[in-house]
Amino acid sequence: MSSVFRILLRRLGISVIVLIGVSMLIFAIARVIPGDPARIALGPNATAEQVAAIRTEMHLDEPIVAQYGHFVTDVLRGDLGTSLYTNRPVTQDIVEFLPATLELVIFAGLLMVALGLPLGILAARHRARWPDHVVRVLTLLTVSAPSFVWAVILMLVFAFYLPLFPVAGRIDDSYEIARVTGFLTVDTLIAGRFDAFLDVLHHLVLPAVALALSGIGQAARLTRANMVETYDKPYIEMAQAYGFAPGRIARRYAFKPSLIPSLTIIGLDFAAMLGNAFLVEAVFAWPGLSRYGVAVILRKDLNAIMGTVLVIALTFLIINIIVDLLIAFLNPRIRHSTRAAT
Amino acid sequence: MTDLLDIRGLTLGFRGLNGYTEVLHGIDLSIARGERVALVGESGSGKSVTARIILGLLQETRTARVAGRVNFDGRDISSMRARPRAALRGTDMSMIFQDPTSSLNPTFTIGRQFAEVMRRREAGLSQKACEARATAMLEEVSIPDPARVLSAYPFQLSGGMNQRVMIAMALVNNPKLLLADEPGTALDVSVQAQTLTLMQDLVARHNTAVLLISHNLGVVREFADRVYVIYRGRIVETGPTAAIFDRPGHAYTRALMAAVPRITGAGLPEVPEVSDDFLAPMVTHPEAT
Ligand SMILES: Nc1ncnc2c1ncn2[C@@H]1O[C@H](COP(=O)(O)OP(=O)(O)OP(=O)(O)O)[C@@H](O)[C@H]1O
Ligand SMILES: [Mg+2]
Repeated sequence: MSSVFRILLRRLGISVIVLIGVSMLIFAIARVIPGDPARIALGPNATAEQVAAIRTEMHLDEPIVAQYGHFVTDVLRGDLGTSLYTNRPVTQDIVEFLPATLELVIFAGLLMVALGLPLGILAARHRARWPDHVVRVLTLLTVSAPSFVWAVILMLVFAFYLPLFPVAGRIDDSYEIARVTGFLTVDTLIAGRFDAFLDVLHHLVLPAVALALSGIGQAARLTRANMVETYDKPYIEMAQAYGFAPGRIARRYAFKPSLIPSLTIIGLDFAAMLGNAFLVEAVFAWPGLSRYGVAVILRKDLNAIMGTVLVIALTFLIINIIVDLLIAFLNPRIRHSTRAAT
Repeated sequence: MTDLLDIRGLTLGFRGLNGYTEVLHGIDLSIARGERVALVGESGSGKSVTARIILGLLQETRTARVAGRVNFDGRDISSMRARPRAALRGTDMSMIFQDPTSSLNPTFTIGRQFAEVMRRREAGLSQKACEARATAMLEEVSIPDPARVLSAYPFQLSGGMNQRVMIAMALVNNPKLLLADEPGTALDVSVQAQTLTLMQDLVARHNTAVLLISHNLGVVREFADRVYVIYRGRIVETGPTAAIFDRPGHAYTRALMAAVPRITGAGLPEVPEVSDDFLAPMVTHPEAT
């Protein structure tokens, strides 16, 4: 059995345990906070019989352990119940709102990697010279404010005072794009509407940058720190003694080995964007899962809360598994855990 | 024919927090083509920095001040620009290091590192040609299964194996000068001895000149044609190996020899005390002909 496969199996096992733990915790918390979900859903004019009927239907009058049992059996059948807020199956709501959030988070993650790593490499390669100082100031700036503050600042500056970008939403209302995946970047291309695709990107820029900024700074600082440490390794001196160009040494000899320790943290930062997306979506009126999540929490919509939390936890775990596999792929010590020759 | 390497009046200093410290105070050193020369001295005497200057690395360090003339293969590398100087490294001169395993890139296979080195000489060398050359070279350092070693990562090989790989890599481009900074002292004594025999054998076959840096007089006696003894940034004695070992003329050389551990290769000879005699003028033995 290859070691990568072993890592995958182990991580999947851990993920299942984490999912069970998270679901129990949220299940309990959602039920102990005050307020009767049936009453909130039906409104003050509903009769006591109507409320009681809903409570029975939702098993709310049974002990909490029995309720959790019902929940698990339903989930295993792929049924997350009905949302009292939208009156639709929770799965349907998630399918509708999750793609917008994922699109935003993935875009922000790409920005984090595409800008943060090169900035870190630049700083490490010219350590203690001016590019390093410039990068240090920039990264300090980005991590000095949380993403929702950046969202407000970016919106004010680049959408309001300088109307370069749209203020809100995912796409201009004038476009009619058939929904296929829910990812508008993909759907517009499927529809063959390149103009709409550009409009989607245009809408994505500000929220994605706001969400990514602190991650870009973190990735740059981490990359620099790990690379500077690697620059002291004997194999860097050997590469210099062999006359390799400084840029090549930076990328292949200093960056690549130091990426392995950086990657775990960058992966966690990426996953943390899922949480920060809640606030950024609120600022930019982004019709994603976060907005839905906030709405259902305020209404104590139990099924919808559980569904949202489970999906976000699942996404988090999937990102972590992908990062672990990437590390295994990059690190030959994990990939080839046997000795080839001695 | 002129010497391959000719260093005259080399000084080196570092600018640091507490001002300027001179580390080399005017070194003269030369190596003929194919000659094996040793540079011996205690820790901190300036052996490694001399090698780094020959490679042209210290000239690119901002805090270092290098002055004097360093002629390599008829060209003055001290006045060269960074680019042409870098072009000499890995082609006409190469270096092997103390600890082979940590001197190889942990994320590349041996084969890939070989290819990188060979492409220093011939940029467009094909994958196949690289493999063939590397295999031949690994066979030359008596590695029994070159194909397996080429596809392995450094951490999958023993220290002794990596040592052979590093020697093979250093010689694959047929350099004119090989710098060996305490090769294999990070490995155990028997491997160290093997390394030396192997190196001796190979440089003779390739007619490569060697500058061997060592603490170990036993090793030097075995390996070198000529010896320079360095003490605190000054050459204190130089001459043919036999002459120096038979009639050491400088107080420091004599102290160094007295401090040689009896069991070959074990530990570093620490000169027991510092004497004013160590600062006496340089002793030069006439060339034996
Ligand atoms: N980058 C640097 N900055 C400041 N001082 C340095 C630097 N590199 C070397 N030195 C100093 O130069 C002197 C000579 O160092 P070098 O490494 O050449 O010693 P060495 O003879 O190789 O010793 P060893 O046998 O321990 O390897 C030492 O005093 C060292 O502290
Ligand atoms: Mg040294």
